[in-house]
Amino acid sequence: MASALRSAILRHIRVPATQALAANGSRLTAVRLMSSHDDHITKDEVINRVLDVVKCFPKVDPSKVSPEVHFEKDLGLDSLDTVEIVMALEEEFKLEIPDKEAVRIESCEHAIEYIYNHPMSS
Amino acid sequence: MGASIGPRLSGMQKQVLALYRGFLRAARSKPVEERRQIESIVSAEFHKNSKQVDRKNFIYIEYLLHRGKKQLDQLKSPDTVGLSSLSVDSSRTRNSSS
Repeated sequence: MASALRSAILRHIRVPATQALAANGSRLTAVRLMSSHDDHITKDEVINRVLDVVKCFPKVDPSKVSPEVHFEKDLGLDSLDTVEIVMALEEEFKLEIPDKEAVRIESCEHAIEYIYNHPMSS
Repeated sequence: MGASIGPRLSGMQKQVLALYRGFLRAARSKPVEERRQIESIVSAEFHKNSKQVDRKNFIYIEYLLHRGKKQLDQLKSPDTVGLSSLSVDSSRTRNSSS
């Protein structure tokens, strides 16, 4: 009875486990591709894409955006807007920026530095 | 860089921003249309409270944080597709203002 139950459970568990493995495997190769230092994005590309994301933010006047601009002091954004911009940058560069790092990104300059130095940016 | 970091934000502000980030993260896992809707509701709600709620009203902010966390947990569930269950507040303000 117990062994029947056990095998029943094992049979059930095996299916998702192999799926998870396969998913993990493919994610690993993808990550490895992106972290390859040969094709790491250039600083100019980082700057251009960061500025584009900031310029596209609805509350931002695109003509005010430059690589040195501070989100709150220069662009008149609040801390909530800054969260939105940092989240948009995460998506643009396919990054996951931890909260601790995210609160430190308060200007285009910080964002560019952080993203350029991040090995996973793509 | 170092001088402007950290102390500028109070613990409570950090909690609010972390909650906001949590909502936006959760919205990413939803279908595009729902995602946009969730983002606009959540953004409007946070901005509204940031303007209307007295910064020193800690008890009320604690309450909002607590409520927000519970709503976020609901939103994170894969069964939750949209924000209708969370829009209680906006519908209330809409009703009271009409």
